[in-house]
Amino acid sequence: MIFNSLTYFLLLFLVVVLYWFFSYRLRLLLIFIASLIFYGFWRVEFIPVMLFSVVVDYFIAIKLSNSSSLVKKRLLITSVLVNLGLLFYFKYLIFFSESAVGIINLLGMNADPFVLKIILPLGISFYTFQTLSYTVDVYRNTIKPEKDFILYACYVTFFPQLVAGPVLRAAEVIHQFSNRIVFSWLHIVIGLRRITYGLFLKVVLADNIGTLVDTGFSMPVDAMSALDVWTLAFLFGFQIYFDFCAYSHIALGSARLMGIKFPENFNFPYLANSPRDFWRRWHISLSSWIRDYLYLPLIGKKVQDRSVGGLSDALTRRRNSVALFTTWGLMGLWHGANWTFVLWGLYHAVIIYMYRLLSPLTSSFSRRFKLLGGVLITLPIMMLSWIPFRAETLDIALRMWLKVLNPFLYSSLGMRENSYLAAVIILIGIFITYWIKHHFIPNINQDSYGLFLGRVLSFTIMFSLIIIFFRPINQFIYFQF
Amino acid sequence: MILRNETKPTKSVIHHSLPMCVALIIALISLWYLSNDSAENRINFDELALGTETSIYLNRENVTQILCHDLTDAYKCIGGYNLKPRNIEEDLVLWLGNSQLHSINQMKPADETATVLLQKSINALGKNVLTFSQPNANLQEHYVLLNYLIGKLPISTLVLPVVFDDMRETGIRHNIVDAFEEEDVSRRLEKTEIGKELLLTYKREDMHGNEMAASGKTSQDSIESFLNSGLESLWPAWGERAALRASFLYGFLYKTRNWLFNINPSSIRKMIPGRYAQNFKALSGILATAEELDMKVLLYIAPIRNDVQIPYDAVEYDIFKNKVNLISNEYDNVFYKNLEGIVPAKFWGTKPSTASGIAEEIDFMHFQAGGHEILSNAILLHLRSIWNED
Repeated sequence: MIFNSLTYFLLLFLVVVLYWFFSYRLRLLLIFIASLIFYGFWRVEFIPVMLFSVVVDYFIAIKLSNSSSLVKKRLLITSVLVNLGLLFYFKYLIFFSESAVGIINLLGMNADPFVLKIILPLGISFYTFQTLSYTVDVYRNTIKPEKDFILYACYVTFFPQLVAGPVLRAAEVIHQFSNRIVFSWLHIVIGLRRITYGLFLKVVLADNIGTLVDTGFSMPVDAMSALDVWTLAFLFGFQIYFDFCAYSHIALGSARLMGIKFPENFNFPYLANSPRDFWRRWHISLSSWIRDYLYLPLIGKKVQDRSVGGLSDALTRRRNSVALFTTWGLMGLWHGANWTFVLWGLYHAVIIYMYRLLSPLTSSFSRRFKLLGGVLITLPIMMLSWIPFRAETLDIALRMWLKVLNPFLYSSLGMRENSYLAAVIILIGIFITYWIKHHFIPNINQDSYGLFLGRVLSFTIMFSLIIIFFRPINQFIYFQF
Repeated sequence: MILRNETKPTKSVIHHSLPMCVALIIALISLWYLSNDSAENRINFDELALGTETSIYLNRENVTQILCHDLTDAYKCIGGYNLKPRNIEEDLVLWLGNSQLHSINQMKPADETATVLLQKSINALGKNVLTFSQPNANLQEHYVLLNYLIGKLPISTLVLPVVFDDMRETGIRHNIVDAFEEEDVSRRLEKTEIGKELLLTYKREDMHGNEMAASGKTSQDSIESFLNSGLESLWPAWGERAALRASFLYGFLYKTRNWLFNINPSSIRKMIPGRYAQNFKALSGILATAEELDMKVLLYIAPIRNDVQIPYDAVEYDIFKNKVNLISNEYDNVFYKNLEGIVPAKFWGTKPSTASGIAEEIDFMHFQAGGHEILSNAILLHLRSIWNED
């Protein structure tokens, strides 16, 4: 089920109303059943796949708590194999088999391509990560295994975050499910406000920018100028940000309607003043997951066990280039079974590596200069990373990047004027929004009529546009990961 | 029933919720007001370039329709043609084009479009014409539509206008995209580079690894339709949202942009290299398809208002016309004509401004009934000469 649909809001309404009237036990059952209904609207036959992952880790975690260290290790390996095995079969088998055939053919031997028809279960990358991290946390004694199956299943399958995150840690959520949360109107108001923000970002901004992006990327690369490539990089950067940030807002808002609090997943990433800062602000739950369950184990560091801080904290401590590139290569592959995503990951590895090398040289610069200069340098570098993320093939991505490096390709425009205009207006809009949120509103009287009218005006615009643009025409981009 | 543990609204709750409640009420009232706006003020988003002074001609030739737009109404033209008594099998002229073919500036009750006039003229020769036109149609759309129609109609002659302005357009509108679902259309398109590109772009659900293919056909579709129609019956404004979207995009954003940057119909529209190249590839695809099927093609530069400075870069426009001519020379079955200047100034009109604060603008594309008559006569003249060559 997709969020930007009437069906979802009908389900959410019914669940929220019943939730607040139900007893503790009934609430858990309600969430579990609602989550299965939510998932089943996509494909009922994939519910067992999800439940298989849930059940395996439930039993492994319980067994882990009273086993010897050798058995513990074996159980952990079983959990890793089961979850990554599911992920490999559904998400990567076609990719690796095609790549293998490609390599064999490159070596001069003839191999026929496999014909595999495997449908990728929605949200598999998210729920396998959650079940896996749960077992790892129990193995590390960070948390105790949850004996109540329904409560544990609610943590994994909770519908607001089931198909596109945030990637939640058991320690952040299970304790919220284990208490009967007291009703407060504040939960409802904050939840509705977050959903409003999310819908505005999705149906008004992301979906409409998506039209410009689709048209731009359907253009032959030969006909693009360097300015077109930049514009498309920025426009897709805005689209994916608004789209995914919208999903996170709606997920956070939906959970909050039931009194459940999720960690924030975005914090104005395009205002980051370094690559390190960017990953503290973008898809924070995933980058911190990767930090704790992949990067830090690779370099032998102690994990942090929290969905904040992103990759950055870890990356500055050890200069382990192999771990850096491995982590980012896998991070790319997690996003999609295509070499374009691997390229995207490796691009980020190179950027972070360069940043580590160069950042000591800037120590004498003033703080203000570093902040401003950092934003101006980081923003275009991060936007360029979206080219392989969106391009259909590796060849297209590389050719688009090469255009940017050619100074002779900066003299023409190859798209409709509206595309350039939209990119500039949105960029300015992001800066203005940040300034209003962080500098203007905190510094004025919170009870003033001006602020009240400002809020009324902004919500009127948002509600009006949401109503007229609300159509389930596009999936959320992160549904495909 | 009373909620257990319920707390009374606090100041914080009121502080957060009051602006949202007030805003929601204002938004609902505004939308209710806008959705009740008079029908004349509604904007058909597809036809927004026409303005209120140009009317869409809803043709009927006796009982059969000979002017259609896309796949949504194609069955009317195809069905109507198949019902007609015909002396010879291959008598059909297919005329593809943009809104110039289906709209009349300052239309009066008895006015007719060039298509209808041409049909009346060639009927005596035992021939028929069908027109498919879409606003701002690009040649890629014509290419797909032609491949869709050749499997359904015995087309012997194709009349194809090329418009410099439409070379700035790209993509296949959703009312034509369904053509890709037909196997023979895909098979024919696969023969050309541009056809392959279009298939790759618009037939994504067939590409492996795209999970959206599955989720697009879920049980949510039917429930969503049910909820939408239920909401429409409860709250009519919900059903008017397409018109409201058009009002917002055209009535506000588009006009504001034009006002801000002083954009008007006379503003020079530069060629867009990528789209230009794609459309020329599509033109080659159309002409190659016609040659393969032994179809005659009348390829013409569409009439444009020329008593004022045209909104194109003169050099680019000349290069464009020369290129069309050169391509036409590559095919024996293609006859090129430049009809850009055939409609005199008196048959052109104006349209309401597309920028805020300005009353009227020149309409470069849509002429009055007199212009349609001239165009029809010109097409007839050239068709006769093509047929006489046989």
